[in-house]
Amino acid sequence: MTRHHPDSFSLMEYSAGNLSEPHALCIRLHLNECPQCRSRVDTLDSLGAVMMEYQPKVSVSENMFDDILAKIDGAPEVDPSIPAVKKMGPLEKLLGEDINKLPWKRQLGDVSVLDITDRFPGQREQVVLQKLAAGGKAPAHTHRGEETTIVLQGSFADQKGVFNQWDFVVLTDQDEHKPVAVGCEDCITLSVLSAPVKLTGTFTRMLNPFIR
Amino acid sequence: MTTLEHKPANSEGRKDPWSQLLQKVGKNQDREAYHALFEHFGPQIKYYAMANGLASHAEELVQEVFVSIWRRSCLYDWRKAAASTWIFTIARNQRIDMLRKMQRTSAEMPIETEDLWQIPGENENEPVTSLHRLMSERRIRESLSHLPEEQITVIAKVYMENKSHQMVADELAIPLGTVKSRVRLALNKLKVILQDQNV
Repeated sequence: MTRHHPDSFSLMEYSAGNLSEPHALCIRLHLNECPQCRSRVDTLDSLGAVMMEYQPKVSVSENMFDDILAKIDGAPEVDPSIPAVKKMGPLEKLLGEDINKLPWKRQLGDVSVLDITDRFPGQREQVVLQKLAAGGKAPAHTHRGEETTIVLQGSFADQKGVFNQWDFVVLTDQDEHKPVAVGCEDCITLSVLSAPVKLTGTFTRMLNPFIR
Repeated sequence: MTTLEHKPANSEGRKDPWSQLLQKVGKNQDREAYHALFEHFGPQIKYYAMANGLASHAEELVQEVFVSIWRRSCLYDWRKAAASTWIFTIARNQRIDMLRKMQRTSAEMPIETEDLWQIPGENENEPVTSLHRLMSERRIRESLSHLPEEQITVIAKVYMENKSHQMVADELAIPLGTVKSRVRLALNKLKVILQDQNV
């Protein structure tokens, strides 16, 4: 069971369909594993329905219903978006293979990264997978703007606490953190960055795994 | 999660009329029921499209949503979501899909809208059919009219106008904190926040 959840504002923006694709992915991955947040989103979806009902109504053209009937009669019965085969998870679909066998780029020290921004054409944020070797430490850094992170594998700890698989955390420019991978597995996270991070340690120039 | 889920079905858990109609569409391809749903939800969805900046595609969106309702209705389970909630999420997804198709540069979208935004009740791993979901919609409808206008305005902009809380703050020229506290007050009142350690 995850212990760090998205806040109600993020869940509301998700439910309203206003989040960018990478942010929505972070929420979706968390929801898949968190019944508590799933239940909150269900309720927020109901709020959306009631808000839609609460707004003015705009009459539709007279022949629209006939057009719709013509469409459903003319098209195949099965919605192509409902796959007949077992669904692949969004992450599997996106990355296509075992997360540990991705073409990771080893940075200095214990950190490896993989920029997957190009999987989200037209989105403004940078999207990176980061891997911190089991027991490893990442250099201290702060964030310009916001960094939304979900833990995909393993656990990491920083001064705010321990973050386990499917935990969700948002860091802002106020947060300086120095994550350490805890447990015996490599810690893999998916992060969405609204602006590049800024290293604060002594090796600033050399060790900048997150800026390209 | 909550004790409500384990309560036996009572009057509150019964199907509302729209959910009954939607179920008829799913089970029997009932066109009369489908038409009744169209009469009720069509004008709402058209406004939704217009408020979302899709004015010139509003009718197209209504059509897409209703075609999708028809095709997916066999998956609808009234125990998992009220019809209006289910239809709202389909409208939301079709709206996102339409915008993505307009904006995309390449033919391929590596990840589909439904991989990111799920329709309630279509998660086969969801073990519990929860009555509190159905009841929560009723509760929200009943208590919304008691909320101060300023709280409703903020929530309406998020849901109907595709705006983040930050964009709402910018538009109303009020601090983000004020927007968030209005939302928080409203959600508390509507009991949407069941447990919220991060706020």
